[in-house]
Amino acid sequence: MHTSTVLSYEAKSGDMPLVAQAAKSNSERKEAVELGAVVVVPAKEDFAAMSLAAININRAPSSPAAATEDSRPFYSSRVPILGNDILLSWMDLVRKLGVGSLWLTSSSTDQGVPCSDLAGFARQGLDQLLVIKLKSYAEMDLADLVRFHCESRNPVTEAQDARGQLGVCLLDHLALHAGGEKHEFSCGASESERMPYQFRGYAKRIMSATERQELVGDALTGACAMRPLGTEIREQVWIGEGAKLAASVRVIGPAYIGDRTIVRSGATVGPFASVEHDCVVDCGTTVERSTVLPRTYLAPGLLIRHQLVDGGYVEDLTCGIVADLRPAGLGSRIQRRETRQQAFSEANVFARATSASALGASASDFARSSTTSQPWLQVKL
Amino acid sequence: MKASAGTVLPFPCASRSAGRRALRKELLRALRASGSPVIVDFSDCGTLNREDIDLMLKCAAQVAGRDTQLLFVSGSRATRVLLDVTRVSSLVPVFNSVTEALAYPQTGAASDAEDFLASQGQEP
Repeated sequence: MHTSTVLSYEAKSGDMPLVAQAAKSNSERKEAVELGAVVVVPAKEDFAAMSLAAININRAPSSPAAATEDSRPFYSSRVPILGNDILLSWMDLVRKLGVGSLWLTSSSTDQGVPCSDLAGFARQGLDQLLVIKLKSYAEMDLADLVRFHCESRNPVTEAQDARGQLGVCLLDHLALHAGGEKHEFSCGASESERMPYQFRGYAKRIMSATERQELVGDALTGACAMRPLGTEIREQVWIGEGAKLAASVRVIGPAYIGDRTIVRSGATVGPFASVEHDCVVDCGTTVERSTVLPRTYLAPGLLIRHQLVDGGYVEDLTCGIVADLRPAGLGSRIQRRETRQQAFSEANVFARATSASALGASASDFARSSTTSQPWLQVKL
Repeated sequence: MKASAGTVLPFPCASRSAGRRALRKELLRALRASGSPVIVDFSDCGTLNREDIDLMLKCAAQVAGRDTQLLFVSGSRATRVLLDVTRVSSLVPVFNSVTEALAYPQTGAASDAEDFLASQGQEP
């Protein structure tokens, strides 16, 4: 069943994207390649919380409305890194492929997209489906991945680097159809049917506190393409909009202080430190070689060194131990204040989002094929 | 518990209900009186709250400017992280176990001897 959704695109002569060119050279004939893209956000709660700006999300009634203020997990994939949303960076890469929109979904397991949903994509007439599990930041040339996939003629191509899979795979129509018929494997193919695509560029796993901190350091020093979102007030020191720093605050670059964050008297931030948006670093506290995640309050006089702080929890990056700061009043989650600016920022991502059920009749068929536990959201690029 | 190298006392953390007040009194008394090292053991503390942090700092203040040596045994790595975050570990030596803490005075004595020899212009 071919639908009119903007999930796919067709190659046009004179304006042929790389994807289609690869397919053409491979088959020695002009051929339209319809490519769809799915981004799987690992934590269900995360997806739900971030999707509040989008109306009519097709969500199971029993699913949580939003992550609670004091809840973990740490470093969920939607938590910004130096103000950057990793989802947006992947969306940019997908946009460069010429894909008009992508589907967002959520999965608490490592399965990714359920087989029944893969079959749904196949029924829509897709030739290829790019599945990105939002668990890594990778400066990947997706066109090269598609080209490799077309040349290798394997049902599934899985991107990996020296440390393993990056959570990016490309499925062709065979794998999508197989997904509908078989139910014993995820992502449309067994291990033996997967062709590894060796990625040698820059990549970090954002679900790991250590790699996240490495990414922060690399972005602050220009060792990767990511740049902090703010004004560079002096070399390697970035300050976000509305941040307030007391006169006696020391900021030692490379360092980043996010939007609306308050740093009080005598505090020190840096080197290699990131304090994300809407945090409060109280008097005399030092944040060094560490990351403070959004909406975190840090009490006076603390020493945060080689650590990641998320609300009331601190993880030591050297030993991986998590300690609770809350009983001692050393740290806590600051309650969210919905400002107009924040609402606008979230709307940027989800303003054009459409729930699956709000699409046309054919898309509604697809919506019915998705499981109630797995919401789907379409975002125009 | 009295060890040859020092007095080992459990930290009377707020989560401990039984005999907490008595332990607290004993700890502060030991810090005031003892000439030998006092080793405070956090092994039984699940987590630390505000009162615990206050007491820890009180202990550090108690021995400041006195001969009494105060040593902490974190017991768990989570407690160790809290001691680092609160900078207590920069005021008071922190160890992972009582055994390590008991071995510390010898290390301290050896380094004192090295300092003394160095000040006299002799090779240690």
